[in-house]
Amino acid sequence: MSYILQTDHLTKVIDGKEIVTDVNLHVKKGEIYGFLGPNGAGKTTVMKMLANLWKPSGGRIELFGETLTPRSYEALRRMGSIIEFPIFYDHMTGYENLKMHCEYMGYYQHGSIENALALLELSEAAKKPVKNYSLGMKERLGIARAILCKPELLILDEPTNGLDPAGMKQIRSLLKMLCTEYGITIMVSTHILSEIESIADTVGVIHHGRMMQEIGMKEIEQMSLAYIELVTTETERAAYVMSDKLGIKNFRILENGEIRIYDTAVSTQELSKTLALNDVAVTALGRKNENLENYFLKMTSEGGAHHVEIN
Amino acid sequence: MLKLIKLEWKRNNISRLIRNAVIMTAVLLVFIMITAGEAGADVTTRGFFNKSFIHASVELFTHMSYMVFTGVMLAGLIVGEYEKGTIRLLFSYPIKRQKIMLSKIFAVWIFNFMALVISKLLMYAVVLATGSFTHIPSTDIPYGYWLFWVELLLGSAAMISISFLALPVGMKMKSSKATVVAAVIVVCFTQGNIGEFTLAYSVPFYTLLFVLAIFAVFLSTYRVEEKDV
Repeated sequence: MSYILQTDHLTKVIDGKEIVTDVNLHVKKGEIYGFLGPNGAGKTTVMKMLANLWKPSGGRIELFGETLTPRSYEALRRMGSIIEFPIFYDHMTGYENLKMHCEYMGYYQHGSIENALALLELSEAAKKPVKNYSLGMKERLGIARAILCKPELLILDEPTNGLDPAGMKQIRSLLKMLCTEYGITIMVSTHILSEIESIADTVGVIHHGRMMQEIGMKEIEQMSLAYIELVTTETERAAYVMSDKLGIKNFRILENGEIRIYDTAVSTQELSKTLALNDVAVTALGRKNENLENYFLKMTSEGGAHHVEIN
Repeated sequence: MLKLIKLEWKRNNISRLIRNAVIMTAVLLVFIMITAGEAGADVTTRGFFNKSFIHASVELFTHMSYMVFTGVMLAGLIVGEYEKGTIRLLFSYPIKRQKIMLSKIFAVWIFNFMALVISKLLMYAVVLATGSFTHIPSTDIPYGYWLFWVELLLGSAAMISISFLALPVGMKMKSSKATVVAAVIVVCFTQGNIGEFTLAYSVPFYTLLFVLAIFAVFLSTYRVEEKDV
C-alpha cells in the first residue's frame, strides 16, 4: 500500500502531560482522509507535528516516503496547510499575502494567484486588506493560499470554521474537485462527521490523544450499524438476564431504561421470551439502525468505545 | 538571504519606516540647532577626540533615537511575529528557520545603520550649509579629519548592534513592549550620565556590550529549528 503520509507511535508530551499518544495514521496517496475527533482530542497537535511546526516527543512521521526531521524543508514545499486558523499579515491585501506566499515558496507561475482567488470567489475582495475580511473570507483565503502552489498533500485543520452552510458545501465540493481532478491528497480534520462524510475515503477517529479507529468509508457503509433497542423499568435485572441466560455481552445501558444490544444475531423473540420468564417487564423491544454520526459519537464518548466491536 | 531581507522590508512597509525615520531626523535637527545656538562654543571631551557642542549633540541624539528605533523594529519584525503567531506561517515555508531569523536581524540592522549614518550626514550637511546665518560655525565639525569618518561609521555600527541586547529580553517575555523598554534601558546605560560619570564612548564598555549583543543574537536563533512554534 502506498502511503503519502503515515505516523508510527506518534507522541507529544507537553509539560509532562501526554497530549498525543502512540498515534498511527495512514493516508493513502490521492485520497481524502477525514481526521475526526471532538474538540481537544489532539487533532491540531497531530497536524502541527505533520506540518513540522511542532516536533514529536516520540514516534515517527513519514512524509512522501521519508522520515520527517526538523530539517525536512523540501517536504514543506510539497504540502499546503492551514493549522488552527489561517494566519495572514492583516495590513496587506489578500493578493499581496498570496504573492508573498509565492515568493517564499519559490513558486512563480503566471496567473496562479488570480486562478486561486477565482476558485475561492475572492477576486474582488483580494484588493482589500485582510483586516477587513470576515472569518469565512479568511478561511477561504487560507485555502486559496494552501492550494496556490499546487501541493501534493493538503493538511487542513477544520477549514470550514466560520463558514455558513453554503460556504461549507462549497469547500466540500472544492476539496473533492482538488482530489479527483488534480490528484491532491487531502487530510482534513473536523469534529463534525457530516462535514466530511460525503467526501472522505478514509476516516481516522482520535479521542483523548489516541487513535481510536481508522476505517474506510466503504467499510463503514457495508458494516451493519443495526441494534436492538430494549426499554425496561428494570435495567439491572435485564442486563443480568441477558448476560447470564443469553450470553449477550455487547450491549449498552442508556438513560431512561433503554438498553441497546449490538449483538444483532440475537433473536428478539427469544430475548422477549427469556426476559418475560425471568420477570423482567419489557416496555418496548425492536430493531433499529444507528446513524453514522451516533456511531462516531459513541466511539468518542466517555467509555463508549469499550462496548463497540468492529472487525 | 538578500531576497529574504527585501521581503522583510516589503512586508513591514519600508516606505512607512523611511517616512518615520525622516520625520524623526527632521525633529532632531531642529531641536539640536536650537540648543546649539544657545550653547555657543562649548566643547565636550566625549569620544576619540574633543567635540564641539553641535558635533556631540548630533552623535548623542541620533544614537539615542536610532537605538530606540532599532528596538521598535525588533519588536515589530521579530518579537511581534511570535506574539501574533505569524512566525508559524514563515516557519511553514521550505526555508531554514535560522535563515529566516537572520534575514530579520539583518533587515533591522541594515535599515537602522543606513538610516543612522544618513541622518548624521544630513544633519552635518545642513549645519554646514546654514552656518552663515545660524551662527553655528561649521568649522566645529572636523570634516577633514579621518577619525571623524571612522567614528561616524564605527560608532553607528556599534550603537545599532548594541541595541540588539533588547532582542532576547523581548523573545523571552514574548512581548513587543518589553523589547522597546529593554532598548530604552540600553540607551540609558550607553548614552546617559550620572553627574560627570558616563559610560558613553568608553571603548572597553562598548566592546563588551558588542560581544554581548552578538551572544544575544546567537541566543535568539539557537536551536530555532527544533523549537515548537
